[in-house]
Amino acid sequence: MGYVAVTGGQKAIEAADQLNLWYRLKDTEHSLETTDIEKQLRHLVDRVMSESGLYAPNYAALAIKQAEGDLCEAAFLMRAYRSTLERTYESLTIDPGRMRVIRRISSAFKDIPGGQILGPTMDYTHRLLNFSLNHENSAEMMNILREKVPDLKLSQPPVFQKVAKLLREQGLLFPPKSSGTLFDITRDKLSFPAPRSAKLQILARGETGAMTALAYSNMRSHIANHPTIGELRVGYAEVTIAYPLDASESICLGEIMITEVETINAFERDEQGEVKLRLGYGLTFGQNETKAIAMAILEQSLETEGPSPTQDEEFVLLHVDSIEANGFVSHLKLPHYITFQSKLDVLRQTQKIATATADKKRQINAQKEGQNDAGKAETNI
Amino acid sequence: MNKQQLSRTMSACSLPLLEQIAQQITQEQQVQVEREPQTSLIMAKAKDSVSSQPFYLGEVLVTECTISVNQKLGIGIVVGEKPLRAYCMAIIDAALNAGVPVLDRWGDRLRAEKQQLQKEHALEYARCAQSQVHFDTMEEYNDKR
Repeated sequence: MGYVAVTGGQKAIEAADQLNLWYRLKDTEHSLETTDIEKQLRHLVDRVMSESGLYAPNYAALAIKQAEGDLCEAAFLMRAYRSTLERTYESLTIDPGRMRVIRRISSAFKDIPGGQILGPTMDYTHRLLNFSLNHENSAEMMNILREKVPDLKLSQPPVFQKVAKLLREQGLLFPPKSSGTLFDITRDKLSFPAPRSAKLQILARGETGAMTALAYSNMRSHIANHPTIGELRVGYAEVTIAYPLDASESICLGEIMITEVETINAFERDEQGEVKLRLGYGLTFGQNETKAIAMAILEQSLETEGPSPTQDEEFVLLHVDSIEANGFVSHLKLPHYITFQSKLDVLRQTQKIATATADKKRQINAQKEGQNDAGKAETNI
Repeated sequence: MNKQQLSRTMSACSLPLLEQIAQQITQEQQVQVEREPQTSLIMAKAKDSVSSQPFYLGEVLVTECTISVNQKLGIGIVVGEKPLRAYCMAIIDAALNAGVPVLDRWGDRLRAEKQQLQKEHALEYARCAQSQVHFDTMEEYNDKR
């Protein structure tokens, strides 16, 4: 479809901007502090960072404030801001197996080396509104929490061996697949079939709702393919780069929070006839557990062939991006006067032609009927 | 402390300490700002454990600064928008590259900061470890009764 630009409306657009401010502030006594959003709405911030593909918690909080809580708009703001920045380095490969864990669970194995740590989760919490939060005294609450000082049994946090590594050592997993080239979807034009690294990168910044819906559809359509979580871990991973002035050394830039999921999706026979496990993999910025699980289900589904929509990589990969999907749907609100007028013109012209054709047919029929009547009269004479 | 250990500590330690070290270097050495602190991006590459191959997870906002001390360059890069920290880190890095004995004077304080960070991490882990769980299946539960 071709588009025709419109002009004008500057004053109205400025007034609309003012109205955004007005409706955000008119019924409140204070403006939201972005630090409150960053620190107290962790999952919201994590989701925006993950869907924008940019790890910057304070900027994500700002975007949430500016977008008045519209997640797609906030992710769009972050993606737009990201495009103004120079990318100076690429990190050394982050190994989530070495993360500083705050949460680690397995639904496949009851006993995993190092044990399961529920960490910060609402998985086992009653879904009841907590009305006491209406009058929460944060200082008082922190004092109570601080009093519960745990025993320091270790001088530093342990590094947990990954469950997948243990399974691999026992020969229970399919050997690692070759993943092709290291693809960057922000720099290279995507074509299909996409390399594995491109699929993972797209899914890692996909929209949580879209990915969850697709993963859910995958599970509902393949009852026998119910995945089990081998391991889900949340924690801090160090970002390191080669030291720019001497590549033989490396430097640490700080930590980022990530969520990693390995799902056991299927038991299959290998070429030797031995039954082995097929893993799915999910990794996201922040604590985004449902999205990471959905990513693992989808990436594994894309590794298989079949009639399910989630096995169609073009369908999945081109529809999970928040900015693209939201942008395309919401652009329908913008002026389409010329395109719509041209459609109306075509419609009117078609109607005109149809009317003219019908008139002509009527004329011909009337003429024919006239001739027949004349013929009948002659016969009667 | 090698560059990795030092940068790990400096990226998270007390900012006033870094300011103190940087101030002393600035007073005693010839310090020049080569590139003002500015935000930029690092592409984070992560290991996919299924294929054991890397993929790009996404970008991380960092602040980067370049300083020279006695004509020797140094770089400070830190996750987040932290211009002052990146500036101090770059001065310390440049001073070390110029052979200024920064660690002779400040090594103990930096090592103490490193230990403090480790303690904080250990405490955070200990807090989380309080939620360590061992589920029994109903069969096991009934056997125990």
